Amino acid sequence: MAFRDTLITNLTTSLSGSNVSVSTELPWNSSGTPLYINNKKKLYIDEDNIAKTELIPVLDNNDVFQTETTVQAFVTVDAKTQPDDIDTIVSTILAGKDGITGQTIKECEVNTEIETDYITYTFDYRFVTV
Amino acid sequence: MAVINVSAGSEAVLKLGDAAANATPTSSDGITVPAMQDITINNSTGVFRWKQLDLTSESAVTTPSTNQITMNIVVDPTTFFGTGAGSIDNVKDNGLYGVSRSKTKVYFSAFFDGTDTGSKYVTGEGYISGLAPTVNMDAPVWVTPVTIEVDGDFSAVTTVS
Repeated sequence: MAFRDTLITNLTTSLSGSNVSVSTELPWNSSGTPLYINNKKKLYIDEDNIAKTELIPVLDNNDVFQTETTVQAFVTVDAKTQPDDIDTIVSTILAGKDGITGQTIKECEVNTEIETDYITYTFDYRFVTV
Repeated sequence: MAVINVSAGSEAVLKLGDAAANATPTSSDGITVPAMQDITINNSTGVFRWKQLDLTSESAVTTPSTNQITMNIVVDPTTFFGTGAGSIDNVKDNGLYGVSRSKTKVYFSAFFDGTDTGSKYVTGEGYISGLAPTVNMDAPVWVTPVTIEVDGDFSAVTTVS
């Protein structure tokens, strides 16, 4: 199961009752505008990006590899009147990393960008396992 | 001028056994140490130096060599802890940890360019020492240094069929 699917399942539950819901659609562009800008207060989660990199090179070529998976999520809200529970929503989405099991590193950071009258929260999940 | 390139993956090989015959290129009775990150064969000649009033440079004579093989490996459970019992080789049964703990002598062959006919290797005997398995969350795979404290000389050998 892709991490995206797990995040959608878990965040749909944990964000129920909040001012943000979770979309199952990818954050594709509609008429040149990403869906998360067109549809405010909806969380869109992008596909998994996976990188396998060499962790320990060994002489018999049985090298140890690590798998790093990154996933981005986006949600846009009105910048002038943000939802009352935006802090809780951000914390909940950040905590979504904990629902991914079997990883030695589970990280998530959020960045914001304000454009005209809306603010977009971009979440970068990072998971590493061997 | 030639080089010995080990990037093919089957060139730098270390075989161990509880008898010299079990560490030979063709024997499968001992173990082949898997997943070595690096290996160093130390043949360090001892030197005694002295100064005397009628010379402008130090004099020196050699003393016996200190011979060691050092390496770092990724811990493979089978070769580290052994297969338990059932083979004819003590190193295979008890693993690197077992023969280190019991201070059992091991025999080794360290191959420079594989085990094929004509390849060069050094042999000898010694004791496994210096095990220090370590792991952390940034590199969550057990790795350990291993030292073979060589008892006596190395012998340089060429593989024959």
